[in-house]
This record gives sequence, C-alpha cells and structure tokens, in this order.
Amino acid sequence: MRRILSSTVARLVMGIFALQLLSSAAAIALLYTQMLGVIEADRTSQVIDLRDDLLAIYYNEGSPALERAIAGTGGSLADPALFAEAALPGGMNVRSHVARVGTLEPGIRPVATRVWQDPRGEALNALAQTMVLADGTRLTVGAVSAPDRSFDTAFAEAITLTVVLTGALALLGALTLGYIISRRTHAIAETAEALGRGDFAARLPHDSHGDGFDLLRAQINAMAERIDRLVGQLKSLSSSLAHDLRSPVARLRASIDHALETIPAGESLEALLLARTDAESLETMLADALELSRLETGTLADRRVVLDLAEVADDLADLYEPLAEQAGIRLERQLTSATALADRELLARALSNLIDNALKYGGRTIIVGTSSGPSEAMLWVADDGPGIAEADRETAQIAHARLDNARTRPGAGLGLAVVTAVAKLHDGRLELLSGTGGNGLLARIVMPVA
Amino acid sequence: MAGRILLIEDDDRLADYIANGLSEQSYTVDRAANGRDGLFLATDSDFDLVILDRMLPGLDGMAVLKAIRAAGLATPVLILSALGDTDSRVDGLVAGADDYLAKPFSFAELLARTQALLRRRSPAGSVESSVLRCGDLELDRLTRQVRRGKRKIVLQPREFRLLEYFMLRTGEVVTRTMLLEAVWDYHFDPGTNVIDVHVSRLRRKIESEPDELPLLHTVRGAGYRLAAD
Repeated sequence: MRRILSSTVARLVMGIFALQLLSSAAAIALLYTQMLGVIEADRTSQVIDLRDDLLAIYYNEGSPALERAIAGTGGSLADPALFAEAALPGGMNVRSHVARVGTLEPGIRPVATRVWQDPRGEALNALAQTMVLADGTRLTVGAVSAPDRSFDTAFAEAITLTVVLTGALALLGALTLGYIISRRTHAIAETAEALGRGDFAARLPHDSHGDGFDLLRAQINAMAERIDRLVGQLKSLSSSLAHDLRSPVARLRASIDHALETIPAGESLEALLLARTDAESLETMLADALELSRLETGTLADRRVVLDLAEVADDLADLYEPLAEQAGIRLERQLTSATALADRELLARALSNLIDNALKYGGRTIIVGTSSGPSEAMLWVADDGPGIAEADRETAQIAHARLDNARTRPGAGLGLAVVTAVAKLHDGRLELLSGTGGNGLLARIVMPVA
Repeated sequence: MAGRILLIEDDDRLADYIANGLSEQSYTVDRAANGRDGLFLATDSDFDLVILDRMLPGLDGMAVLKAIRAAGLATPVLILSALGDTDSRVDGLVAGADDYLAKPFSFAELLARTQALLRRRSPAGSVESSVLRCGDLELDRLTRQVRRGKRKIVLQPREFRLLEYFMLRTGEVVTRTMLLEAVWDYHFDPGTNVIDVHVSRLRRKIESEPDELPLLHTVRGAGYRLAAD
C-alpha cells in the first residue's frame, strides 16, 4: 500500500480525484440552475393563468363576482400554493390562501416577493403580480414557492451522494491504476536488481500492451541477453582453456613422475621434486577452475537430500582436526541441528574451502558451527585472524580475486568463488562478516531450512 | 602380479605414458585409439582389466562400457575422464565401471588403482577371516580390536576404518585419494595434506614402541603401503 501511495502515483491519483469531483460538481450545478429555471417558468405561467382567469371574471361579471371568486377559493384558486388578494376601493380586502403580501408595485409580470399565509408565521418566498383595476381595486395574484426547501434538500443530498461516489470511484480507479503501474515498474525493477546481483538469466516476461513499458521491457531483455552472452563466452573460454590444459599438464606430471623413478639423488632430483610440486598445484588450479565453471553453469545433477548440516560439519571437522592440531590451531565446534535440502559432497567441498582458508589466513582458533532459524539454516566458519576488510568482502567472492594480504600465500583465488557457487546452487548465499568480537572473519553459508 | 590390460585412449602421448609405465610394472598392455577398435579387442580376447577413456572418437567411452557389459563380460573397467565431477563418476559406476579416475591423475594413482582392481579379480583367501594380519599387527573386524603383538591399540572409529582399509590391501600402494574416497566418502581434493596427518597419527599409534618395526610406509609421489617387510 505504501508503494502504491508513493509520491508520483499519489499525485496522479489526487489529480484524477480533483478533476472528477470538479466535473461532477459542475454538472450538478448546471442541472440545478436549469431545474430552477424550469420551475420558475412553470410558476410564472401558473400565476399568469390565475391572473387572466380573475381578470376575465372581473370584466365579464363585475367586481362582486371577482370578490366571490377570491373568497370562494374554488376554480383556479383550488391549488393552495396559489393566492389572490383584492384591495377594494372602499378599504375592504378579500383574500384567499394568504394573510399578508409584502409591498409590491404594480407591474406587467410576476416578480419575487414575500408573503405570509399565517399572520404570525414565517415569511415565504413567492412570485406575485399586482395590478390596479378600472374601479380602483388593487388585485394581487401569486404562487408560494414553499416547496423550494425540499427541492434544495434533495439537491444537497444528490451533491453529497455524488461527492461520496466520485470519491470512492476515484480512489478505486487510483488504486487500480497505482497497482497496475507499480506492478509493471516493480517487475522491471526486480529483474534489473537480479541482473545486478549477477543472475544473468533473469528476463522480463513478454507482454504486448504496445506501450512504453513494453519498450522498456524489450530494451532490458535485450541488454540482459547481451550481458548473459558475454559472460557465457568468458566462462566457456576459461572453462575450455582449463579443459584443454588438463592433458598437457597430466603428461607433464607423468614425465616428471617417470624421471623421478630413474634419477639418482642430487641437485637434479631436488629440481624435479620442485617441478612436481608446481605441476601438482597447476593440476589443482585447473581442477578448481573446471569445478567452478561446472558449479556456475549449473550442469551438475541435483543430488540434494534433506541433511543435518551439523553432521556434514562434524565429519569435516573430524577430517581437519589433526591438521589444525599440527599447525597449533584450535578447531572448535558449535553444532546445533540444522536441516536443509543439501548435496553433502558439494557442501563438504565448500566447507573444506572455508576451513582451508581459515587455516591459511586465520588466527589461532577456528570455530565450525551450524545453526537454524525459522526459515534459514546456517553453516559457518569463524576465525580470529586479520579478517577481510568490509570494502574487500564482495571482491573476495569473485573468482581469481586475491586480496593484498593473501597474495604471497599459495592458492588459486577460487576458494570463496566456489563457496559462493555452491551456496547459490542451494538457493542460498555466502555472507562474509566480522568474526566474534569484531575480530577475524565469519564466513556463513545461509540456505533455506528443510 | 602380471596381468593383461587393454588401454582404450585416443590421446597418443598420454597412452604412451600409461602403456610404458604399466609395461615397466610387467603388465601386458594392448592399445586401441578409438571406441570401435577398443570394443572389438575387449570382446575378442580375454583381458584382466580395461582402462577406458570416457571421451573417444567414433564410439563414446560410456557406449563402449555398456556394450562390454551387454556382451556379458565381467572384466573390471577403470574409466579415465576429464569430467571429474560426481555426476560423471556416478554415471560411469552405474553403467558398470569398477573405478573412475579423473584427469589429470598421477601415474602412481593409476597404478595403485590398477593393482587394486586386478587383486579384486584374483580369488584370494576363499573365506575371509574376520581377523586381518600384517606382521604382528592384528585387526579383528568383528570385535573391532587392534593389537600389536601383546600391546592393545585403542583407535578412534575413523582410525579403525583407515587401518582396516590398509590391512585389506596389505602390500599394495594406497593413494591419498583412495583413502579420502573409501574412508571419508569425499570425492574432491581438499588440497592440503589432511590425509597425511591422519596417516601419521595412525602410524604413531601402531608404531609407538621403539622395538616395533615400521609397518606403514610412505611411497614417494604416490601414497602409502602397509607391509611387514
């Protein structure tokens, strides 16, 4: 919801709401004035009809007949909204449906005035016309516009209803619009984020609305395609290079082995033994590079089963314990059961890389641990060595990256890249943090709990 | 411990090295440079072991292996492959291979595995005794007791498995990779000398007294050999 109401969308929505409200209000106002006009015209014609009737009686039958017609409240005066008053020259008044009429100048058309139907009551709005007849009688006819009030109330209700409805519809429209916009922009943002993280297979689903979003989608997909291809080329280049180097290196080592069997002790033997060590580390590097490319391209079969990470860690700690002891390093375990869908072999490989790193670069104590949260299982190795500076931690996970303080030690620089690749294959990630008490390195493989 | 070995490998120079090395160990080696020739030789004459490259021109190594097994031959097959990951290993073993070696490998590793496969083929002691012996070292696989002469040796479970593996292969060269696979069930190279330290620990336990002869020998460039000589 906060996303939907984010500034741009919210402003758009407010604008739409205001415009809708304004146009509805204008329509109602127009209708109101026109209705008033129609009603006014209707009243005017009623008053004129009454006037003409009474004048006809006066001219045809004389003044007494007019007095009777007014007093009798029949015929044209049957409607209680209509009224008439005749002020006779003798000072006598005849009235019908009215107690008093406000001062009114004689005129040729009905005009607005105020009348009292009840002498002590409220003044009512009315349309009335006064004329002076031949014998001096002052005749006033008119119509009370009392129903105006309920008419206004009805209109007020209509306006309220319109505002509420407009508001609700505008909000609904706005939310829908906001949802549509944010859904489409967020899909794009998420894909861009995935690409940024290094998931070059991320693509936006094809959509054919033919609008600007589609253009953006197509551009992002094209960009991702190109990045993916370039990275793929780079990877397959290094992988085939490593692959092609394997046979010559195998032969090199075989030759050295062969020579070692026949050569007598002496300087040449020393040189051959050195060459053998180099050939071996070359082999290891090639094997690691190939392993990494297999892990990264995901060409391994899924052999994951539900495992207790604590058992994997325990086994590996067993394997490394004598080596650590020999190096005068304490290898401790902090194992609590943590189940996850995992490939034992791959995890052991990753963990062995982490322990190996800790033995090479760490301090005097290494802790191998597992723990489990509600959704994540963790497998970690902590050491109290110099650690990795926060700024270098991301670089450390990239293949072939060697940090300055590690440059003089052996290793192909693939260790943490392999761990990262293994973590990704487990839908997890490798986290590099500061070790206990801010010292050393805490390398943590985090994956979903099973 | 002579035997007749068929080597099916298309890389001529690598095949030369393997063949020469095995010949020096007094094995008879026949060679085939592609899958079709290899399959023909394997089914036509009697070999004690077939060393088969996985990627071959003509007929792929896996197809050759399947054809050999389909022909009803039980000859042990050792696969060589540049595809060293668990997947291809498992695929090869499922298809009927007896062992799997990833390129690049050392000749010593190949030799040790060759010897192990050939030994498995020759019917040794008909009924295996529960007690294994090497000189005055005794390991009882049932009671899990180990003694050297009169001295009782206490071993951790993993050390016991390590020694048991050596004693089942007395006199043979056992490589670090073989130990890692058999005792720890890991098929990757931990890189450092982790296995060496375990073996030294075991050695200290079984050769702790000054008058005890060395039993666990280091074979330079290859691995170890348990022998009473």
